[in-house]
Amino acid sequence: MAKHKSIVRIGGVSPSRTRIPRSSSAIRSGNLTHSAAHPGSQRRLGLYIHIPFCRKKCSYCDFYSLSCGESSDFDTLSERYATVLERHLTETAKLTTSPVDTVYFGGGTPTVLSTRQLTRLLSVIKKRFKLLPGAEITVEANPESALPKTLKALRRAGFNRISLGVQSLSDHELERLGRIHDSDTAKHAFQSARDAGFKNISIDLMFGIEDQTPESWRDTLRRAIELHPEHISCYGLRVEDGTPLALRASTANLADDDTQADMYLDACDVLADAGYRHYEISNWAQPGMESRHNLRYWRLEPYIGFGPAAHSDCFGARYSNVRDIESYMRGIELGGAVLDEYEDIEESERAFEYVMLSLRTTDGVDLDSLSKRFSAPPGDARELMRSLTQQELASYEGGGRWCLTERGWLISNSIILKVIDAMSGADRPQDRNS
Amino acid sequence: MSDITKIRNFSIVAHIDHGKSTLADRLLELCGAVDKRDMESQILDNMELERERGITIKARAVKLDYTAKDGNTYTLNLIDTPGHVDFNYEVSRSLAACEGALLVVDASQGIEAQTLANTYLAVDAGLEVLPVINKIDLPAADPDRVAAEVEDVIGIDASEAPRISAKTGENVADVLEYIVKNVPAPTGDPDAPLRCLIFDSQYDPYKGVIVYLRAFDGTLRAGDRVRMMATGAEYDVVEVGHLRPLTMERRDVLTPGEVGYFTASIKNVSDTRVGDTVTLADRPTEEALPGYRKVQSMVFSGVYPADGSKYPDLRDALEKLKLNDASLSYEPESSVALGFGFRCGFLGLLHMEIIQERLEREFNLDLITTAPSVVYKIHYTDGRVEMVDNPLNFPQGDVLDYAEEPFVKASIITPKEYTGSIMELCQERRGVFRNMTYIASDRVELHYELPLNEIIYDFFDALKSRTRGYASLDYELCDYRKSELVKLDILLNGDIVDALSFIVHREKAYPRARRITEKLKENIPRQMFEIPIQAAIGGKIIARETVKALRKDVLAKCYGGDITRKKKLLEKQKEGKKRMRSLGTVDVPQEAFMAVLKLDE
Repeated sequence: MAKHKSIVRIGGVSPSRTRIPRSSSAIRSGNLTHSAAHPGSQRRLGLYIHIPFCRKKCSYCDFYSLSCGESSDFDTLSERYATVLERHLTETAKLTTSPVDTVYFGGGTPTVLSTRQLTRLLSVIKKRFKLLPGAEITVEANPESALPKTLKALRRAGFNRISLGVQSLSDHELERLGRIHDSDTAKHAFQSARDAGFKNISIDLMFGIEDQTPESWRDTLRRAIELHPEHISCYGLRVEDGTPLALRASTANLADDDTQADMYLDACDVLADAGYRHYEISNWAQPGMESRHNLRYWRLEPYIGFGPAAHSDCFGARYSNVRDIESYMRGIELGGAVLDEYEDIEESERAFEYVMLSLRTTDGVDLDSLSKRFSAPPGDARELMRSLTQQELASYEGGGRWCLTERGWLISNSIILKVIDAMSGADRPQDRNS
Repeated sequence: MSDITKIRNFSIVAHIDHGKSTLADRLLELCGAVDKRDMESQILDNMELERERGITIKARAVKLDYTAKDGNTYTLNLIDTPGHVDFNYEVSRSLAACEGALLVVDASQGIEAQTLANTYLAVDAGLEVLPVINKIDLPAADPDRVAAEVEDVIGIDASEAPRISAKTGENVADVLEYIVKNVPAPTGDPDAPLRCLIFDSQYDPYKGVIVYLRAFDGTLRAGDRVRMMATGAEYDVVEVGHLRPLTMERRDVLTPGEVGYFTASIKNVSDTRVGDTVTLADRPTEEALPGYRKVQSMVFSGVYPADGSKYPDLRDALEKLKLNDASLSYEPESSVALGFGFRCGFLGLLHMEIIQERLEREFNLDLITTAPSVVYKIHYTDGRVEMVDNPLNFPQGDVLDYAEEPFVKASIITPKEYTGSIMELCQERRGVFRNMTYIASDRVELHYELPLNEIIYDFFDALKSRTRGYASLDYELCDYRKSELVKLDILLNGDIVDALSFIVHREKAYPRARRITEKLKENIPRQMFEIPIQAAIGGKIIARETVKALRKDVLAKCYGGDITRKKKLLEKQKEGKKRMRSLGTVDVPQEAFMAVLKLDE
């Protein structure tokens, strides 16, 4: 794994500086097509628009988002923010001719913006970018904000996929999470989305919630399946530093790792029985309904992020915007810098990313093509994968491709590090001994 | 040339913490040997570690000028000695350089194990032992009781013993008069063949080895060719002189009775062994000063760099430490588990700890050490006898006839209410009770013979915790005894980890095996597969624990494509893995090796 030497912190607002890093001639010259085309031909692009507002922050969330209540005049703030996004989208669109295949409005809670504002932003995208027909256009929504009227308007505006933050169908667990909706609200929201014409609905669920039991988890899964969503994401709760949950974690009734692992495997069984395909560590879909936007992250396909703390992998580099909304807005308004971290990704680093990301999906890692794609020979990785296969942590899919099993996914960090080691031969002497 | 009748050579002996170094500081001050602005506490203990631990590791000597009440100016040579049992031999050689010893006793605590041990050393060296009762400023001080204890237990007159507080300075001036009056002046013939006793040496990068010595007979001059009688090494003396607290004072000659130093561009301290006699090469003395012996390492341990690539650094560091410490021995060894390192021999546990700490601190090394071992005497069936200090070389099966292990004579002084629990402890540690005497109405001295093997395990800690720190221990090697010893191997995932093997008495093997496997289980993180931890004697498993397979180690969520964060987390995890040793397929953190050294119940 290459060191992150090339990360340059450019952060903060400095009107004198250009918003585009000097080190990236592609961004400055607008020659995105050339750069993004590497190593394939004309590559499709994904856009991520971050809406960093929530009506109330959840107790476990450490993502950058502001509670609407924190701003005395949210209408003014949201209007200013929407205008800034519009400008950022418009300026960035000038740098690329790549067709846009997926658009994702995430948060936060995008639906705290008005439908008028969301519609306006989507129409800017349609107008400025080369949006492909059939593009996947997702909006995240929390059940309490997913009102029939709103959903209909969003569907009309062109959003064709909605991701509902249901989390649990147990009212007690929702309360523990600090969510402001209950299970009935979630079910109504789902029905309203259907009624509004959304044919592709995803719901997010969490396991390892405070006070959750394996039984209540299976119950949530079953009731979620009864709604027949096209897509389900399941995430294990992580206690992140600095969250309200972290403060009481020592006394909270939280599942340990072993229990979380069991819950995960339960989900695998229940969802498989219901016909969902487990295509990525945390994601299940009815066949053909996999999230194309999400898959880009795992397939090293380019995407550009808008909004504070949003990440991009484009122009041959990974970069992120400043985390603070005020800095971000002023940066755009004054034509200054909005970059936080910027990292040119070398080929060896790409090889590492490829292994790390492709092993998360049922695509798996193609060890035969490693040398060709990244000039990174697989080293002892094949032997390692073979031994992992014996332990039922991996499986061979033919054509040089290796996937992790569901048990393998559960410990994928350890496995990824082993694969990287095996590629670089670092493990060789020890492996011989064993 | 000094007037021999005006010289007083003395040292200060005491149990640890009874105030030896503080008294030395006060004496230096009173004699104006150090400017007030240069004065700092424990001035003779100039090693960082000595100050921190409040102990003396190296012997030091200093010349003081004192004008006594009789109007004469006397030369007082104070030879500071290490107090710990590990350094007994050095202590005895330092004492041999003196005519008297101040015996400092804490007025509240009274006589402790090392008070006695050091007194015996002083008496053996034929010294005038002069009791000094210190810490009279303490609320619990009872100088009368302690004076009586000194008379009863040691059998020396304490009626004139100065009662002082080295801390406040109270009555310390009396001590100087006491020395002048009671320490005999040295004797010696300046025209006889040269006889000087080496009581310490120190390596200086510019001058080479600085040899500290006491002149008995003859005269030593710069330019003389000298011979160390035990090692046979010969050198041309470059410089001689006296030792001042912060400097060396160059002189033309050293004459009988004087304490000082010489340098001779000596590269290697092992040529200048403590206890050796220095004489002139062309006019040697017939008879060396008595008492020289080569110091024997009592405790051995494997010392490895945590990072295998630091092996050359460790070698250089040991070389440098050895320059100053002839009692340290080491030779390269290698372990399947730990790679390349050194088998180091130490005088005892404290010595071992000090060396390890100095290596880590002064040379910035991260070390993994193996469990300390003593030297076993192995009798093979074919009649061969071999000394073995490394568990790896301990024979198993038919070739072994029997093994012997070293025993020590231990003296433990304790408030009498702890007698029962100490006897229990010694019993557990295979001790043989010898006798018990009352040294005061409320304190007893217990004599035991104990296997050294049990003492180097966690005896000190156990003694401390069972007596709330009130008991004191002293011991000396006595003999080798036949014993039922076995080699205990530790297996991780079915493979023996050589660095974790140790020798143990058969009866102790089972509980120790259980404890060690438990400790390892606590310290080895869960990995991708289940790891059995086993303890075995000659292939027979006697204890087993299991580290369960890792179930969950995954970064589930990806916030809006923040791959960089994922990479950083993995990077961090990878760094953590680097600090582990790969043994076969098992990653073992450094702490696991350390944990098995501390198995306190």
